[in-house]
Amino acid sequence: MSAPIIRFENVSRTYEHAGQTVRALGPIDLEIGAGEFVAIMGPSGSGKSTLLSLAGALDVPTVGRVTVDGNDLQGLSRKQLAQLRRQTIGYVFQELNLLPGLTVVENVALPLELDGERLAPARKVASEALEAVGMAGFASRFPDDLSGGEQQRVAIARAFVGPRRLLLADEPTGALDSVTGERAMRLLRDQCDAGRTAVIVTHDSAHAAWADRVLFLRDGELAPEPEPVGGRP
Amino acid sequence: MSVRHSLLAILADQPTHGYGLKSTFERSTAGAWPLNVGQVYTTLARLQRDGLVEPEPAASPVGDAAATVDDRDTGRQTWRITASGREALSTWFDEPIVADPPPRDELAIKVLLAVAAEHVDVTDILHRQRTATMERLQQLTHHKHKADPDRELPWLLLLDALVLKTQAELEWIERCEQRLREQRAARERRQPGSES
Repeated sequence: MSAPIIRFENVSRTYEHAGQTVRALGPIDLEIGAGEFVAIMGPSGSGKSTLLSLAGALDVPTVGRVTVDGNDLQGLSRKQLAQLRRQTIGYVFQELNLLPGLTVVENVALPLELDGERLAPARKVASEALEAVGMAGFASRFPDDLSGGEQQRVAIARAFVGPRRLLLADEPTGALDSVTGERAMRLLRDQCDAGRTAVIVTHDSAHAAWADRVLFLRDGELAPEPEPVGGRP
Repeated sequence: MSVRHSLLAILADQPTHGYGLKSTFERSTAGAWPLNVGQVYTTLARLQRDGLVEPEPAASPVGDAAATVDDRDTGRQTWRITASGREALSTWFDEPIVADPPPRDELAIKVLLAVAAEHVDVTDILHRQRTATMERLQQLTHHKHKADPDRELPWLLLLDALVLKTQAELEWIERCEQRLREQRAARERRQPGSES
């Protein structure tokens, strides 16, 4: 495996609830290499979303160490965490969270502009990201004018815009029909084949099967993974 | 798989010789079910016996009967569908396939017997099966990724069918695990402190 972009070392996340400690995740050890496409499956309440929040620097572990792109999350200030999220990580949620008042290209350019990039270069980079997902012709349209599948492609373009090379997605195909959902998976597969990294949570095994690795969570713990057999060409 | 009806379906399009039947069948079904040519000839003989196909009269100056025998030996005999053959084919296409009793399913049998047995760890069997089935699903998906939708439609349709069946197997495994967990929890409630 290539150098890990995400590393979990003996990680647990617990919450205090009604005077009791509830374990949402862990202990787990996990490495995800740059360029890998990983799917996480498991029943409700098994810790999938907690794992994704930790990998996305949206949360920090109670015990253990999470490293994202070489940064130990425990050691980062809130400001540094926010910067890591903006510069490295793109998120795709079931509600795609595209801003309805902005055009497609403006939506995709937004993370770059928030990070201090000037308007013209940000738009240029955003246009390239749209082209990579086959949405170049939709740049000046508004999200509400697009189909669900097209909006999804825009959300994926935004997640991978500019220097961002890690995409995290929680049930990204939830609202899509199966053919459109498959198209989104195909797109993620191609992006990962081109060196990007994607980690998705899904309940749909047909979508998970597009990934290089499928992880199963149960009661906060990872099921042992099989030895790799051959691997992807 | 019904070799009889498959051959009838191909012959309904145009008269074909034995080897042509084999290759057309394999092309149309994306090579998923290889047919050996001996199987084709045996089936043709039965179809002829039942009046569903007949040898096409040879355009040879030698007598028809002699040409038929010779050409069958060399695989050049052309066969055509009869009116009864078309009728049998049409019935096959019209009737939905309903498998009752269900086809034998080794996984289901294995799991049911493991559940019934005292000394077998069903959870472990299910876990290993899920890993293997998921790998199979990943392989099929990889083929789908590589398939050309314009030139390889039969292959893609077959992959879709296999993907859905594999997915159903995964869901069934998940369901088994869930039911077993619920059963264990219910036993625990009835006999607190007892593990089994």
